[in-house]
Amino acid sequence: MNHDIVLQVLDACDARRAERRAFMKNAGFAVAGATMLAACSSNDDGPGSMITPTPTPIPTPTPSPSGALSDQDVLNFALNLEYLEAQFYSFAANGVSLPASLLSGTGQAGAPNGARQVTFKDDAVARYAREIAGDEQAHVAFLRSALGSVAVAQPNLDLSADVNGAFSAAARAAGLVGANQAFDPYASDENFLLAAFIFEDVGVSAYKGASPLITNKTYLEAAAGILAAEAYHAGLIRTTLYRKGLTTPSLIDATEAISNARDSLDGSSDLDQGVRPIGNATNIVPTDSNGVAFSRSAGQVLNIAYLNKASVDRGGFFPTGVNGTIKLSAAN
Amino acid sequence: MHENARQGTFCTTPYPARAELELLENAPGSNPATIREACAVNQEVELIEAFEQQAQRRKDRREFFKAFALTAVAGGGLAMATSVQRAAAQATLTDGDVLNFALNLEYLEAQFYAYAANGVGLSADLLTGSGKIGAAVGARQATFKDPAVAAYAQEIAADERAHVAFLRSAIGATAVGQPQIDIGVSPTSAFSNAARAAGLIGAGESFDPYASDENFLLGAFIFEDVGVTAYKGASPLITNKVFLEAAAGILAVEAYHAALVRTTLDAKGIAAPSLVDATEAISNARDSLDGASDDDQGIRAIGTSSNIAPLDANGLAYSRSTGQVLNIVYLNKAAVTAGGFFPNGVNGTIVTSAAN
Repeated sequence: MNHDIVLQVLDACDARRAERRAFMKNAGFAVAGATMLAACSSNDDGPGSMITPTPTPIPTPTPSPSGALSDQDVLNFALNLEYLEAQFYSFAANGVSLPASLLSGTGQAGAPNGARQVTFKDDAVARYAREIAGDEQAHVAFLRSALGSVAVAQPNLDLSADVNGAFSAAARAAGLVGANQAFDPYASDENFLLAAFIFEDVGVSAYKGASPLITNKTYLEAAAGILAAEAYHAGLIRTTLYRKGLTTPSLIDATEAISNARDSLDGSSDLDQGVRPIGNATNIVPTDSNGVAFSRSAGQVLNIAYLNKASVDRGGFFPTGVNGTIKLSAAN
Repeated sequence: MHENARQGTFCTTPYPARAELELLENAPGSNPATIREACAVNQEVELIEAFEQQAQRRKDRREFFKAFALTAVAGGGLAMATSVQRAAAQATLTDGDVLNFALNLEYLEAQFYAYAANGVGLSADLLTGSGKIGAAVGARQATFKDPAVAAYAQEIAADERAHVAFLRSAIGATAVGQPQIDIGVSPTSAFSNAARAAGLIGAGESFDPYASDENFLLGAFIFEDVGVTAYKGASPLITNKVFLEAAAGILAVEAYHAALVRTTLDAKGIAAPSLVDATEAISNARDSLDGASDDDQGIRAIGTSSNIAPLDANGLAYSRSTGQVLNIVYLNKAAVTAGGFFPNGVNGTIVTSAAN
């Protein structure tokens, strides 16, 4: 694949997105935002269609089937994602796994495979990594406590830097590495930040998408608190990538490429943005034209975690699937 | 020694307030007599050290809770129960009441950023509505040196303006108009009073959030975490699922903004540590207004970790009730209906700050 052409197409797509966003912001409250924003990853020649076959355009994201889901189902789904994030940051920051007491539960218990400690050069990035690691471990502990005996166990996690690992597959889908190249999230400050970028905005959209599914007000407010924490983390990672991107522009290109790769997995709606500035404004916060963060259904979140736009029950970062009742990705 | 200590401003204002002092005095290992004496004789350095001890205790609490998850969850459970009781007490509020409350806060934020970034306020068609219509007074375009900070201001300004437009549209005909907003720079302005409460400036001095990159970031810091806690605290009050999900989306955006501001202050604070001190002072001033609970944190590193995300021991963002949010924007820990950034109060049905 010719990466220059890919990047040119990415740039063209981003320019369109920027123009749309600027137009809608200047025009005030725009009504057709979702429809307009759907273009880049669906029926034009955007990067989604170059990285993977063009998904079938649909007018709106398909909501997750919510009728039969209990709050426990939703919180257990979130717990799977927190295991993934917590183990990634725990190894990257401290070189160790979460304690075994935080990993037990129902379902198929697995192991976090392939992660290791990052040798940070920028002390600020190391401090950030330790902060996020602490927060994500707290989320695991909190959700497990809230769920009690029905909490799911940690499933198998692929956190490896292997050429066949999930990180490499995700980076390859984004055009960051070639066919037989590996992406090692533990190799440098920059790679760590990009790997964190792969997860963080997804967590925000997952909790936002799940918010209407939670019926218990106590759980709802707690979930809102985790949502906020994930958005703080995402803002931290994006701000740091933007700042480093001022001297290393390829980092900004990489965030756009990762964002577009995610968009190519989760359906035709554009639910994702990199950190390239839009006009004279930065784009630290990925929002729609109303200034509201994006939502993803559980199925769309699993499309990204499984690295598969089809409806499957495993793959990518969860080689044997997630535990619990919500385990199928959406069919896109 | 801290700049604040040299200026000796903590004890010349009413704001090492009762709640803050009680926290200091009642905390394990503290000596109430020492702390009172420090204030009485205006031994600022000792008070600063007391604040630092408090920060250390907060750190200890945080690390303790993180190390012992079950204990942490027990604490969180208490906090959540309080929150639910609070929601029940406010159960007569409609979604419109809650969204209109949020709209008042968005007017404040949007006008501050609009002026700071572009030198002009929101257009008049975004300001109409029910209630007592006011003007946003005293703001001007900020003097930016760091182009990145100028670009951040542009982004946040656009997002906050979009929030105003979105909420007005969601609420429809019953949307409140913009109330009077004080975002000026005189020695008696809300920003100056807030900065004075935090010990950043002395009596008779002004805090000008438009004067520099750093002051703009601190001005933004005064608002951003409060917005997060306000939306989180309001989340159980909203019954309509569409509004709820939208509010969750605005909550997320406020947290992104807060992280942007905090991360930038953290980065600049490496070379200018007084910025980090200032965030702790503002955080403590907010805590002194909104009751005895500690639901606020500056950005000082905790051990070997940064503290970009202000979270409780469970890794959850804090909640504030509408009354607590009004304590902060009115700059008053008593139950009042106007003051601070809203000299004539906010519009709508939720107008009274909490009695702390």
